[in-house]
Amino acid sequence: MTTMTDLERQTTPVPVQEEGDAPDDSDVVFDVRDLDVSYAGKVALRGVTMKVFRNRVTAFIGPSGCGKSTFIRCFNRMNDLIVGASVDGHVYYHDEDLYDPKIDEVEVRRRIGMVFQKPNPFPKSIYDNIAFGPRVLGLTDALDERVEKALRDAALWDEVSDRLGANAFGLSGGQQQRLCIARCLAIDPEVILLDEPCSALDPISTSAIEDLIVELKKQYTIVIVTHNMQQAARIADRTAFFSVETGPDGYRSGVLVEYDKTSTIFTTPADPRTEGYVTGRFG
Amino acid sequence: MRTEFQTELDRLESLLQGEADLVARALRETLDAIKTQDAGLAGHVIAFDDQVDAHFLAVDSGIETLLARQAPVATDLRLVLSMLHINLHLERMADQCVNIAKMLRNIQPAGLPDELIEEFEPMGVRAEQMIRVAMDSFSARDVERAESLVDLDNLIDDRNRLMAKRIIELGGDEQQREAGLMAILMSRCIERIGDNAVDIGEQTAFLVTGSFREFQDASHGAGA
Repeated sequence: MTTMTDLERQTTPVPVQEEGDAPDDSDVVFDVRDLDVSYAGKVALRGVTMKVFRNRVTAFIGPSGCGKSTFIRCFNRMNDLIVGASVDGHVYYHDEDLYDPKIDEVEVRRRIGMVFQKPNPFPKSIYDNIAFGPRVLGLTDALDERVEKALRDAALWDEVSDRLGANAFGLSGGQQQRLCIARCLAIDPEVILLDEPCSALDPISTSAIEDLIVELKKQYTIVIVTHNMQQAARIADRTAFFSVETGPDGYRSGVLVEYDKTSTIFTTPADPRTEGYVTGRFG
Repeated sequence: MRTEFQTELDRLESLLQGEADLVARALRETLDAIKTQDAGLAGHVIAFDDQVDAHFLAVDSGIETLLARQAPVATDLRLVLSMLHINLHLERMADQCVNIAKMLRNIQPAGLPDELIEEFEPMGVRAEQMIRVAMDSFSARDVERAESLVDLDNLIDDRNRLMAKRIIELGGDEQQREAGLMAILMSRCIERIGDNAVDIGEQTAFLVTGSFREFQDASHGAGA
């Protein structure tokens, strides 16, 4: 027979789903403060302040022209390559200002890799695509192992291990994109930036990349720009919504409207502009 | 494919089964409290409800997030919708236990007459069995087993009617009549737990077949 105290003892804590939340300052990888980006003197992105956290997927969503791709390019100084682009404000990467003149942008891009919208393998073999970065950087010890690990981590090894010498252009679009991710992983980055990585892919390949991203966040910090809102909902821990607003100078430029846990953005967004966008009533 | 989505679906279903285990435990303690007429145990049943509520909220908010983020379709959508309903039914079952515990506390120290107390155990055991069958058939996606809940529910309904008969037979003084009134209300609570178990069975059928139907037509049928 059950005694009176049994119920007192039988406490069953509800398992809590963390959802990549509750990051603290020790988890900050990027600390962006009051960032403006201009092209030829025209402000494209205005006054962005936000933090990106370690081992999480952070997604940027918003309508065309809201500056999300412009913003992600600030994380590895890709905007430097665009003539007329200028950056004001600060992007701190582990307390170092990425736009400090002393910073070596090549080293920045080694630690912060990037994958683009359209798969862009080199016209070389699968093996040489992956080995390219390590060879340039002199990381040639145990190169075969390095190539295999990158391909395994990018969930591509099983599909290509028997044809590493084949030309990378022979792969499908989804495989080429995973090859580009593997190429990025081969030089041990800390952060992977993905600029609309699935927009040129079919739904099955998209699903494979999404699964891969969720898996990769255990080892890397991931930032992704996506025009597919549902993709952000599915895979991101935190989501930032950007929009286009007319600034005091009369120019229309991108602004960060809201940045929060993904579940909050898609269930109870704080800003009516976010609500309008995620419900499809605006933008 | 979509491993994170599948993991979250599995997590919510397992959380729901955990909630059902808690409800079954609450019901067992409630039946023991009736048997022993123990107001202290009844108080623990009331306090224990917080744990069921915590599970309810965790499942509820998990489903809200899943719907918002994963946009489930087809079988996945039906699973999510059925879990949403089952979660509510389980929470209502636990509330019925609380209702019984409160009534039990209110009629102390006089308590229930012995001849009524002994009627509760077989009825409660049937309700416990129904919770198990409802959740096992949901887990196994077994419609036939879920439909067997109707027969079990009829047995509980018979017991409920028998309780009414016993109470009328009690007659007696005002205190006896008050205890009888409480007993019929408590019996009704257990009968409702049975109904909720049938409701869960109907969700299993919805999940498997894709169309919702009531197992028994409560508004037109002859049964209670």
